Amino acid sequence: MSVPMPGDVLWLVIALPAAGSLVCLALPSARAVLAVTAAGVPAIAVASGAVVWQVFAHGPLLTAGRWLYLDALSAYHLAVMMLIFALSSVFARVYFGAEPMPLSRRRARRFGALWYGALAAMALVVLSNNLGIMWVGVEATTLLTAFLICLHVSPVSLEATWKYLIVCSVGVAFAFMGTLLMGSAAAACSPGGAQFLNWTYVHDIASRLDPRVVKLAFIFLLVGYGTKAGLAPLHSWLPDAHSQAPAPVSALFSGFLLNTALYCIMRFIPIVETATGNAGWSRGLLVFFGLFSILLAAAFILAQHDLKRLLAYHSVEHLGIIAVGLGLGPLGSFAALFHTLNHSVCKALGFFSAGRVGQIYGTHDMRRITGALKVHALWGVGLFGSILALIGLAPFAIFLSEFLIVKAAAETKAYVTLAIFLLGAGVVFIGALRHAIDMAWGTPAAVPAPRRASILEGAIVIAPLALLLVLGLWMPRPFQEMLSSAARILGGSAQ
Amino acid sequence: MHGVTDGIMAAMLVLNLALLGTSRLTFCIRLVAVQGVLVGLLPLVSPSGMTLRTVVLAAAVIALKGAVFPRLLSNAMRGADVRREVEPYVGSGLSLLLGLALLGISFWLGAKLPLPAAAPEVALVVPGAICTILIGLFVIVSRKKAITQVVGYLVLENGIAAFGLAIVQDVPLLIELGILLDVFVAVFVMAIMIYHISQEFDHIDADRLSALKG
Repeated sequence: MSVPMPGDVLWLVIALPAAGSLVCLALPSARAVLAVTAAGVPAIAVASGAVVWQVFAHGPLLTAGRWLYLDALSAYHLAVMMLIFALSSVFARVYFGAEPMPLSRRRARRFGALWYGALAAMALVVLSNNLGIMWVGVEATTLLTAFLICLHVSPVSLEATWKYLIVCSVGVAFAFMGTLLMGSAAAACSPGGAQFLNWTYVHDIASRLDPRVVKLAFIFLLVGYGTKAGLAPLHSWLPDAHSQAPAPVSALFSGFLLNTALYCIMRFIPIVETATGNAGWSRGLLVFFGLFSILLAAAFILAQHDLKRLLAYHSVEHLGIIAVGLGLGPLGSFAALFHTLNHSVCKALGFFSAGRVGQIYGTHDMRRITGALKVHALWGVGLFGSILALIGLAPFAIFLSEFLIVKAAAETKAYVTLAIFLLGAGVVFIGALRHAIDMAWGTPAAVPAPRRASILEGAIVIAPLALLLVLGLWMPRPFQEMLSSAARILGGSAQ
Repeated sequence: MHGVTDGIMAAMLVLNLALLGTSRLTFCIRLVAVQGVLVGLLPLVSPSGMTLRTVVLAAAVIALKGAVFPRLLSNAMRGADVRREVEPYVGSGLSLLLGLALLGISFWLGAKLPLPAAAPEVALVVPGAICTILIGLFVIVSRKKAITQVVGYLVLENGIAAFGLAIVQDVPLLIELGILLDVFVAVFVMAIMIYHISQEFDHIDADRLSALKG
């Protein structure tokens, strides 16, 4: 294990968005707020990219009195998060610019402040070495994003916000009990130590922890963070929140908010596995929740009429797929991490397209969205392409990551898992394809002629599709090494 | 000090049952405030005793749970102009019976759970904390009003705080304060939401927030 380097830059990844949040509160107009988010967040993302690169080139960063830690696993998640945030921030400008009613200055300030605030909170989750602070960050993301759902106040958006607040706050409270139990197990091994909640420390002493306490802790953690990650049957808040939030916010929710919670579960896997003698106990639980999510989502996708709810159930399905992957050994972990990026990018594009198509048609009812390719070629392509990629059509990258998960299942002789996975994926494929074809090719609905797409809009649609296509055909060597080193941490190595 | 800790926990249990039996909303809010103050006192009588850390923590908890939260909730209630009754799905008599059953389950769980040896030798803390958590959950699912769901959340939070004190000593102050900040913001956000809901719907009945399905 190499000695972690001093990484004082890590502070900036949290401090810059926090500063952006304050700046947004003081800006003079809605236009200014949207411009500052669309330019500022990608800039922060590029700066964070440099930190991520440093981790993969030189090893983990540990700083600020061991409070902040960035290793391959968290650096990879940080990179995905920054990518999704940057895309969504640029899209937010397009989306709110095309709304029939422009944002008032007050609403825009609120949006900007909470948007940057959510970025800071998610960065805190990913960067935190202390499991307690990590929990504080997850709860903070719930509270900061709540008002983003009801940015446009309406009875249904308030209903969705209330469910989100209560279900996630209560769910995450369980994760806190799990964190406390884990802390107590660690404290029992280290009388007088003040470090018992630090991941690096708990990870080092994992083999000495009381396995019964660790198991109890993991059940609480899985239920708690699983609620926030939208794993069935704990997903009840998810379709409502995703469908009622404005499109850029839905993209962020689906693209990374869920992954933030799943990341927290990932952090505990190597600890639990080491403590329980590497018998695959925690992995079995993940496979169970994952398969249940896939099947439940498949049933709801078949019967769905609302475009954004369709995409929301796809999130339940794909988070389930990632959970299954995590449960299937080293190759499965590798595939799960790869799938994280693919799903986030694809789903962000899906919600971007759903948002713009919804604005053009004035509805999210898929029975009334017909002939999207003729009505607006660019966003029609975005919608059709993202759904095709989502359901795992080759040669998009999601096909490849799902294929790797199937391979991992076959290699570990998990044939029941394999069969259920294929059944769920098959049902989703057929169900969603039918919706997608109707929306793309049907007789165009009579709608007011949309305005022409700008170059920026073109880039937002083409870039994610191109990325998915390239990664589906060819995986660059450095990226593969990045995934491998992150997957090794899930397997219990400190590197 | 163990006698004092057990006394505090016993008082918390009585408050739990009183909460299930009462039908007046303002009284519920007051009961939870008293329970919050009791939770705030726990660190002072813990084995670590009166240190700067426990005093700061106790002061923060008592100020928030004893004074700030009840005020926020009362204001939200007045702003929303709601009827003063709790309106449970489950009547107060049956609630009390269920509460007693939960208490029994908590004692059984408290004896069964493989909690680490660091747990203090006081008898009531772990079962009391579990009971408070379960009653908080029960209040959240069995009461109609949005505001009673917040009350339930606070009871749950009190239970978790007591549970934490029982099984982990000396959580760094920074983390404790971060948690309190989160809880404070959560209640604040929920109070604002209750105001918005009452403006939009003319009621704050969470059971009638049911337009979104499938």
